[in-house]
Amino acid sequence: MKQKDIKVLVVDDEVAFANTLAQRLRMRDMEVGTAYDGEQALSKLNKEAPDVIILDLKMPGMHGMDVLQEIKAGYPEIQVILLTGHGTDRDGEEARRLGGFDFLNKPADIDHLECKIRKAFQEKLKRTV
Amino acid sequence: MSEHNEQQEEKNNKTRIYKFLRVLFHPRDFLGILSEDRYKSLKIRIVLLDAVLSLLPLFIVVTISYFWFQQILKDDFKNQLKWELENTKQSIEFFLEERLSILRFITSTYTYEQLSDQRTLFDIFTKFKREFPGLADIGVIDANGIQRTYSGPYRLAGADYSNQTWFNEIVVRSSNLSDVFMGFRKIPHFAIAVKREVPDKGTFWILRATIDMKILQKYASAVNIREDDDVFIINREGVLQTPSRFHGNVLEQYKENFSFREDNISIKEAGQSEGTCDICGYAPIKNSPWVLVAVIRSSPYAKIPNIFRNELLFITIISIFFSIAVTIALVQTVVNRIKKADQAREVAIAETEHASKMASIGRLAAGVAHEINNPLAIINEKAGLMKDILEGSRDLQQKREKFLSLIGGIFDSVNRCRTVTHRLLGFSRRMDISHDTIDINDALNEVIGFLEKEIIYRNIRLDLDLRKDIPKVVTDKGQVQQVFLNIINNAIDAVQEKGLIKISSYSKDEHFVRVSIKDNGSGIPRDKLKHIFEPFYTTKGKGTGLGLSISYGIVQRLGGSIHVESEINKGTNFFVDIPIRSETV
Repeated sequence: MKQKDIKVLVVDDEVAFANTLAQRLRMRDMEVGTAYDGEQALSKLNKEAPDVIILDLKMPGMHGMDVLQEIKAGYPEIQVILLTGHGTDRDGEEARRLGGFDFLNKPADIDHLECKIRKAFQEKLKRTV
Repeated sequence: MSEHNEQQEEKNNKTRIYKFLRVLFHPRDFLGILSEDRYKSLKIRIVLLDAVLSLLPLFIVVTISYFWFQQILKDDFKNQLKWELENTKQSIEFFLEERLSILRFITSTYTYEQLSDQRTLFDIFTKFKREFPGLADIGVIDANGIQRTYSGPYRLAGADYSNQTWFNEIVVRSSNLSDVFMGFRKIPHFAIAVKREVPDKGTFWILRATIDMKILQKYASAVNIREDDDVFIINREGVLQTPSRFHGNVLEQYKENFSFREDNISIKEAGQSEGTCDICGYAPIKNSPWVLVAVIRSSPYAKIPNIFRNELLFITIISIFFSIAVTIALVQTVVNRIKKADQAREVAIAETEHASKMASIGRLAAGVAHEINNPLAIINEKAGLMKDILEGSRDLQQKREKFLSLIGGIFDSVNRCRTVTHRLLGFSRRMDISHDTIDINDALNEVIGFLEKEIIYRNIRLDLDLRKDIPKVVTDKGQVQQVFLNIINNAIDAVQEKGLIKISSYSKDEHFVRVSIKDNGSGIPRDKLKHIFEPFYTTKGKGTGLGLSISYGIVQRLGGSIHVESEINKGTNFFVDIPIRSETV
């Protein structure tokens, strides 16, 4: 299986961050889309159907947790990695409880993040098989 | 307007009164003396108040009973005196009555003619005198006041009594008792005379006996008296009939004011002399011109029996002693309780303050960290992208090295920022709280091993007291070790060359294992002690000031607690309580 097959959606209200991260991940052979708030992200799920979503918590409009809940309700196979600068222990627990794959703090090491994405992808494959 | 002023005035007065009361009851507050002295002064005030409240009634009762007892004694003494005077008075009255009866008997038995015979009279005189001592002489006096016959030690036959008062009186009455007088013989004596009417001749004659005054004196001195007292007889005019100790001799005037009732014995408290009150008793003797007088100056009633006084004193002293002892003990207990309660309250307030401060600092730190994290994330990604591009491209070969080094610098600063913000939030291994079953002693030994070189290099004596019997705990080994590392590091910094660090571990109770890290360094001043767990607070002049705040956060998250005791120049002791079963909060 080619690595290019991993489809990632980066959801973050910080446009610069979302775009740059998307670009870097593309350079690591991933197919990456961006969304700048929760609603936009949810609306993209239909057409693009990513394998892994990188999700910020604190965003204008929908909160990351609500987005996570919606994703898990509609697309339980999609793996969500929360990446936030506002994280607390409690958020981490909450995310895991809601079915998030992992919970990382900004700024995150790109290699560490890549590794997590690949692991999440493996997990998704496992589930869908 | 004026009403308003009045109100203001009233208010001012109230404030003044309140202030005054405050000063009265809390003088220490006023003087600005606080802490230990406050309790001491509270103790003293309560003891004094209580002593006054409990001892005042005691003193009142004792005083009243003392005077009451004295009054009883006085009354009792008066009654006794009255009784004695009564007795003596009756004896004297009986004595006089008796003499009078005898004379009457003689006058009715013998005729004037018989008694005119010297031998018969002498016979009677001798017999009379034998039976009743004190008789001086006896004589028969005719209606003209001439003594016809006389029997006695003097030559008084033919003496003329017609001018004397007693003779004039007896003409009217049937008998007469004279005052004491010196008479012809210059010896104090008194006379009893009985008149005998001779109805058929229309005339009368008188039998008169003189009796030595000493006999009266004998009766008077029968009254039981003491050294300073005086008992004597006066006539109604106050002329002394018997000699007295302090009020003059026979026939002198009794100088004190006196008054009495004819029918009864009067007991009076007379003039004050030398601090004590004289008690005077007057007993008028019936059918005579005399009054029996007793002047009691010794005031024996004033001398309350020593036993009573000693007992009273003893009981009073015992009572005072007990009441003060009990009061002091009671006050000691109460004030100590108050003190403990105050201290507990102060500690509680301090802890609450500390906890809320920590919480708000935590919130602030979290806010700061969040704000830093987002731009950091962007820097991170930008720099990362530059690096990615440079690594992927061969075109910028010349600038490559420079770029890479610059980017490396960016990374370094990102790392530094990250370290600070992550540590600030206690994030370092936030997601990875593991639940290892560990031996606290092993964890400690590993940390000590890590610091051993430093300890040896600085010549610090390390004293280990790790109890083998402590239970294994389920906790995050790495985090616990970080806490130990921070605290032991601080201890090493705190002690001098050749200082002492003592590390001990033991079971605190069934839920916690306690690790105590004690140094003999300079100690932490009280005002600084409350800040040491705050982030960025440092006294060392080096370091970030995060070590203890991170340790605090870690231990709290592991469900344990950390506290510190410190004394200036004696050292500091940190206590870390680790729950045997750690739960992530």
